[in-house]
Amino acid sequence: MRNLLKLLYTYNYLILFLVLEGFSLFLVIEGSEFHHARFVNSTRSFSGAFFVKMNEFNSYFGLKEQNAVLAHENVQLKNLLEQYRKREITRPDTIKDTLRQPKYSYFEAKVINNSVNKQYNYITLDKGSDDGVRPEMGVISAQGIVGVVQGVSKHFATVISVLNLDFKVSAKIKKNDFFGQLHWDGISDSYCTLTDIPQHVKFGKGDTIVTTGFSSIFPNDITIGTVESFDIKGGNFFTIKVKLLNEFRKLNYVTVVDDIFREERKSIENTKKND
Amino acid sequence: MIKEFYKNIGSFVFLVLLQVLVLNNIQFSGFVNPYLYILFIILLPFETPKWILLLISFALGFTIDLFTNTLGMHAFATVAIGFARPYILRGIAPRDGYETGTKPGINFFGWDWVLKYSLAMVLIHHFVLFNIETFKFQMFFSTLLRIIFSTIFTMLLIVLSQLITQKR
Repeated sequence: MRNLLKLLYTYNYLILFLVLEGFSLFLVIEGSEFHHARFVNSTRSFSGAFFVKMNEFNSYFGLKEQNAVLAHENVQLKNLLEQYRKREITRPDTIKDTLRQPKYSYFEAKVINNSVNKQYNYITLDKGSDDGVRPEMGVISAQGIVGVVQGVSKHFATVISVLNLDFKVSAKIKKNDFFGQLHWDGISDSYCTLTDIPQHVKFGKGDTIVTTGFSSIFPNDITIGTVESFDIKGGNFFTIKVKLLNEFRKLNYVTVVDDIFREERKSIENTKKND
Repeated sequence: MIKEFYKNIGSFVFLVLLQVLVLNNIQFSGFVNPYLYILFIILLPFETPKWILLLISFALGFTIDLFTNTLGMHAFATVAIGFARPYILRGIAPRDGYETGTKPGINFFGWDWVLKYSLAMVLIHHFVLFNIETFKFQMFFSTLLRIIFSTIFTMLLIVLSQLITQKR
């Protein structure tokens, strides 16, 4: 027993080293679980307050560009509205369909912290659980998808960016609806990779890639990017390099998407699994 | 002694804020991420007990982690250099050891010593950090490139900080 204590004493430095490294490694591996922990939530509101101040200062530099983007989006929305109006006028006898409620609700949020240069990039928003943000909501901008909400505190939310090795989303070629899986390769902040598109599918450079709406995170047909290049690497599938439409370095205002029927959809999908 | 303690707390807070509010916002090509905060570990006095060194390293890395949403990664890398520091210091010690009252830094040692010492620390830290961040060996070369570029920039900042604090 005494020898054991002596041993512990002589190697206490090494033991402390191993314990600390073990704990860190544990945090790295189990990290996503800890994002929901209360402790991390409280530090999130602390660091969030910092980032708000920082962002107030920074946002002045992007006002001009932001205006251009908003004007552009306005025009698009007006065009869309015009299309719907036309439809109403040409078919005045349509019966009002009460089942056609909105499926998604949107609310706007501001990016207060953002990174693009890591392997696991996260975005912090200035809206939290008090504003109705919940984990697993989609985040989009006028140009395309941005990420998925991961954790929320009262006034802030962290978002897994598209530029995160953990981020995966199903995406399709807009032209012909063939879908595959989109993920980031960790190299450049303007390209993603789309896999699982079968070899017989015809498409070309510049074709638009959009979301599928299979998961309840993103609505259907939200733009992601355009085809930059493609090749066949073993197997029967294309590996497509997708140029992202979003400029992740310049994100400022984003839209959080809330799927209104999420609970209903989840419950029915789960019952199927249990059978 | 007490004064020294407050000075250290001050530089801890300063380096963390500098890292989180300024350096982490340098989004330059994705290959350049300077991590100057380890300067705190580099500049700790020689007499710091080894176990305190480890605990301080962990606290520093963990603080950075909380701000960057990377739980554990910076803590792991920083504890690694906290562990390696005594061995590096022993490896490059002057012939008659370190005199009492001296501290690591340009004010007591030449550029040759400072560069050797900090390059070893920065390289180990960046190597561990970027590899644990990627966690894959198939991206080894792109990670290696990130390590090299980031090390160059961190070293530039360390040299700059030494020039600023140099007493004439």
